[in-house]
Order: sequence, then structure tokens, then C-alpha cells
Amino acid sequence: MTWRKTRSEYTADRDRPGAFEGETITRRRFMSGAATATGALAAAAFTLPALGFAVAPVFAPTSDTWQEVGPVSRFTDSEYLPEVITLEPGLGEAGLAIAYIRLHNLAIDGPIKDRYDRAIAISSRCVHVGCPVRYVAAARSFVCPCHGGVYDFRGVRTGGPPPRPLDRFYTLIRDEQVLVGPRYSVNDELRRFSPRDPGEPLDGIGQFLYPAQPSSPPAPPGAKS
Amino acid sequence: MPRIPAPPLPKALQPRPKRPGQDVEAGAATPVEAGITVVDWLDERTALSPGIRWLMWRKVPRGINWAYTLGSATLFAFLNQAVTGVFLAMYYRPDAAGGAYESIRNINDNVFLGQFVHGMHKWGASVMIILIFLHMGRVFFYGAYKYPRELTWVIGVVLVILTLAMGFTGYLLPFDQRAYWASVVGININAGGPFVGPFLSNFLFGGADFNATTLSRFYAIHMLVIPGAMAALIGAHLYLVTKLGITAPPWLKPGADDTDHALAEAEV
Amino acid sequence: MNQAQKEAYLREYSILKNEGKPFFPYAVAKDGAMACIVMVVIIFLSLLFGAELGPKADPTTTTYVPRPDWYFFFLFEVLRVMRNVPKFTPMATIGVPTICMILLFLLPFYDRSPERRIERRPIALAAGITTIAAMAYLTYSGAHTGSPNSVEIKPPATLSAAQLQVWHAGADVVGESGCLACHVIGENGNNGPGPALTNIANTVPAAQIASTLRNPTPPMPSFKDLPADKFNDLVYFLSTLQ
Repeated sequence: MTWRKTRSEYTADRDRPGAFEGETITRRRFMSGAATATGALAAAAFTLPALGFAVAPVFAPTSDTWQEVGPVSRFTDSEYLPEVITLEPGLGEAGLAIAYIRLHNLAIDGPIKDRYDRAIAISSRCVHVGCPVRYVAAARSFVCPCHGGVYDFRGVRTGGPPPRPLDRFYTLIRDEQVLVGPRYSVNDELRRFSPRDPGEPLDGIGQFLYPAQPSSPPAPPGAKS
Repeated sequence: MPRIPAPPLPKALQPRPKRPGQDVEAGAATPVEAGITVVDWLDERTALSPGIRWLMWRKVPRGINWAYTLGSATLFAFLNQAVTGVFLAMYYRPDAAGGAYESIRNINDNVFLGQFVHGMHKWGASVMIILIFLHMGRVFFYGAYKYPRELTWVIGVVLVILTLAMGFTGYLLPFDQRAYWASVVGININAGGPFVGPFLSNFLFGGADFNATTLSRFYAIHMLVIPGAMAALIGAHLYLVTKLGITAPPWLKPGADDTDHALAEAEV
Repeated sequence: MNQAQKEAYLREYSILKNEGKPFFPYAVAKDGAMACIVMVVIIFLSLLFGAELGPKADPTTTTYVPRPDWYFFFLFEVLRVMRNVPKFTPMATIGVPTICMILLFLLPFYDRSPERRIERRPIALAAGITTIAAMAYLTYSGAHTGSPNSVEIKPPATLSAAQLQVWHAGADVVGESGCLACHVIGENGNNGPGPALTNIANTVPAAQIASTLRNPTPPMPSFKDLPADKFNDLVYFLSTLQ
């Protein structure tokens, strides 16, 4: 019973700051909880929707779009042609990009994987940090002007800091037209992965450190890896 | 109750001294003597004067030199960025489809003093970054981050990072070639962080790649999010500086007086 | 710092503080003078250099050479450092800056000695000077990295007008053929994987340059398909690099 007396149920007896006559510990505890909870609830009511609104695009999948880049007869299997494609409609020049396009070359690229592999479309975005690579016909290489990445004719790194080969786009040949579709990334064996940002290696542990993003467009139906 | 002194009145408004023989009036002769100046009126309602005394008439230790002005110089550069930035925002349009570039072109070519204010904002950024690093160097070499000023240092490091983030987000806004590519590269650098990196870069892009909302996202971060955070942190930094006091130069010892005094003692 | 050292510091500091002068107007006058200097510098820079606006952003460019503002040159240079171990690229882009930032954040928590005079803190002095030197070096070399699409060295003074024309034509071929992706000439290009070419003619005669260009060691591509005149210009240009 002595224990109960020292642990009085009134805040005034226990020297709580701001204690007043007749206030009990449980009442103080309830009111403290209520004050914190209502405040947090009200703050969350404007913070969470605003935050979700700002973060949503990270999780919104992009749709896959296909666009014609020209008749098959324009392209060869031994040289790239730079073609302007639209990545973001409605953004004017800022939504455009360059794809280097040629036809599949059995001697260089090996057997054709599937119907999306009959033309090769290589993205001009360097996979180091995203600078614009240039195709140098004389050297049959892609060269990046920023930090000196060099890629061979297939887009596989031969020098400099890039951690994987250049990204590609799915292609289709329909009605004698070459169509360019969504982007994909490849590892050193040119195995297909969903598109990754630059700077992310895809070999060994890399594919687990940099998982596929929910915002990536899905692979077209029937595409093999 | 302590009061700050009344502001000096211009000569014309000062009460003339009494001529000899003139009657001495009863009570206060002027509003100033009656204590109803604007300052008194404000102080009666806000009781700010102790705070101002605490801030302005605190003592700073002996031996303060020019290296100690770097912090306030950084603050001044920040104010320059804030004011010029607010006025640039009046003419700027965050429109990636062409409006952004055109609006900067308009500021540079047509607006009165446009190129000058734009230049002050642009070069003010460089000056602020130099000053903040010099200030950091001063604090480091003077050992001023040690007890009891650890928290001041941590807040200062956050301010350095936010200042660099301001430089980075401000890049994109003019939307010329340098702006576009520097931003794309900067965002992609973030993608290199394991696990969270790709999400961070997608957050900055506002999608999988550069798109219509990227520029307005950067604009909002550059002129609302980071400056708000910086202003709050600068307030906390200044509060701590005032509360804990400015460090004395580490080579000074209490009692041992300035060098010439010490020399004079040695001669005796 | 233990409790006694903390109290000793606070005591010492309060004496030093009492020996000082009030913040306003003594320190503020100095701050105001400094603020004036800062504003003079900013206004001077603005009037002198203005706010130049480059060509409009163009994601389809294949010739633009992106470079950051000067205060990110050190980061730009760190990105080039990892060029020979590409799988570790994220270490350079994210790892090194993050570690540096954490070290900077936690500085007061691992440097807990009471000593404040820099001449009695050898480790801090060494670390500070090393950091400043490294930043200065990285910023300097980042600022002096030329474009890999053009050669910016001066031609030898001894060339005649006709030779000079061939020399410039050869320099253009170097720029457009991607040589500088792997070789460095003067301040342009990347130092590796290929050898530096700045003084190549000292060790390799023109005939051998030509045969190497036709039958190189991999991964260097062969340039035997270049048009004959371009090829000759290229060989002539390289043979003048001494």
C-alpha cells in the first residue's frame, strides 16, 4: 500500500509540468495522446496526398508506343543511320531522341532472336551517365564525348567507364516499314533486360542491385530475353 | 525593464533646449519623452527588445578577424540569390516545349536590366559556393566545430549540400544545351545508387525519362523546396551561433593580452 | 572531450568573450564591409560576363560536348577516374561522394580531442590540406579536359602554308574519326585505353603509323577504309606530333 501512495494518481503529486488541481495521470496521458494523434492526423491529411502526388510518376508504367522510322530499303546491315524518334510526345524538340538503326547482320549479331530483332536500333544515350554518343563511321564505333566511353559496332563497350552495352529499342518490320518501339537494356552477352538508367551494370550482382523499375514499359508480346 | 535606445531624431525634429528664464512645463514635453515613439509602441506589444539586445549587443570574443566575416558574407550571397531569384521568377516560364528558353531569351534581351539581374543570380551562385566552402574551411582549421558547437557544424554541412543542390537544380532552368545535358547527367548519376538510385532518378525526372513535368519539378524544387529548407536551417544555424557564441581564435588564451601588450610586459 | 575538459573550455571561453566587444556595431561593421565586397564582386562579374544563354536544348544532338559548371568539375573528373574498371562505375558516381559527405557530417563526432590549434592537430591538418589539394587538382583537370571531337593543339611553326592546310585537314580527320576516345593529344581526348599520341612521332616513323592504322592491334579498329586523301592527311598530321 505504501507503494500506491508514492505513485499518486494525481499529476500535482508527481511534479508533472503544468499540473493543476484534480488532474489525474490517466487524464494527462489521454489528453497528450489525443493532442499528438489529432495533430499528426491533420498533418498527414495534407502531407501524404501531396507526397503521393509527387512520387506517383515513379510507379506509373509508361505505355509502349511504336513509330515508323522509314522503309526497310533505306537501311543496310553494315552501316547505321541516325533517325530522330519521339520519346515524349507533346514536348517539342525536348521530347525527341536519336536511334541508330541498321538491319540485323547474321555474321555480327548471330541468329535472329525473335520478330523484334530483325532490325537493330541503338539508343544514343550513353549508359555511363547519359551523354549523347556519336557513331563514328570511320572507326565503326560509338564514342561518348563526356567521359570517353567507346562502344564497338554492336554497342558493346570497348573502352572507358560505361558499365554495360548501349541500350536498344525493340523494332518491328511491318508493311516494308521499320517500326521502333520501347527501349530495353542489354548485358554484356546482349541478353535483354527491361530498361535501366545509365550507370547501372547488368552483369553479376548488378541485375539484383538495380532491379527493374515499375515505370518501365512492358516488353512487347512474345519477346525473348 | 531594459529598453533599446530610441532612434536618433533628425535635427529639425529635436526639441530645442529651453532658453534661460523660460518656464519649465510640467510632465513630458514631447512624445519622445512620453515614451510613445513607434519603437516603444512596438516593444510594449511584442517585448522584442530583450531578444534584440541578446542578438545585437552580445559580446564577441577578443581577436575576431576577417576570416570571421565569411559566414555572414555567405548569408549575404544567399539573400542576393533570394531577391534576384524572386524577380527572375516574375518573367520565367517553366515550359520545356520551348517557353522556358524563350522566356530567358526575353529576360536577357528585352527586359530592363534583365541580363544584369540574371547575371547577378548566375554569378551570385558561384560566389556563394566559394564563400560557403571558405567558411567551412575556416571552421575546420579553427577547430570551431568542436564542443559545444557540433550541431552547428552538422547544420552547416546540410546547408553546403543544399547549396550544391541549388546549383544543380538551377542548371536546368534556362533550358539551353548546357542546362539540359548537365541535368540529364546529374540525374543519371543519382541512378547509380544501389536499390534506391533508380527510384531517386525517376522521382527527379517525374517518370522513366525526361518528360514534360521534369522542368516544372526542378523549378519547384529550386525555388520553393530547397530555399524553404535553407531559410529554416539558416535560422537554426544563426540561433546556435548566437546562443553558443562565436569561437575565439584558437591561439588566444584568456588573460594573456594582445601581442603588443604581451611584448611590453616581456620588455619590463 | 571529458567533462573536465568541457568545463575548462566553457570557462576559458566565457573569459575571452567578456574581454571582447559587442557584436553590434564592431563585428557588424566588418561583416558589412565584407558584404559590400561580395556585392562588388557579383555586380562586377555580372557586368563583365553577363548571363550567356547557349543554343536551345536539343536531345538529338550528336556533336554537343556536355560540360558542367565549374563547381562540379571535381565530380566530372571523378567520373572519368573509374574508366578502366567499368563495373565499378557506381562506386565513383555515388560511393565516393556519399562517403565523403558522411565523413564531413560526422566530423565533430570522431574528432573529439579538445585541441583546437591547427598546428597541434597534424591529422586534421594533413586531411584538410589533402582534401583541398585533391579538390583543386580534380577541378583543374576537369576544367582542362578538351572535347574528344576536335584537336586544339597549335601546329608546328615550321610548316609552310600548303603543309599547314594538310595539317588542319588531318586534325579534322582525327576529330571526326573518334581517335580521341582512346588516345590523348594535347589537352583533348582520353588517356587510355590507347597510348598518348601527343609526342607519337618521336618514337614511331610515318610509315609505321600508316601500317598501324591499317592493321592495328585490337580493340583499335582499322582505318583502311578511309578515303585515300583523308588517310594521308591523318598520317601526315600524326607524323608532326613531336
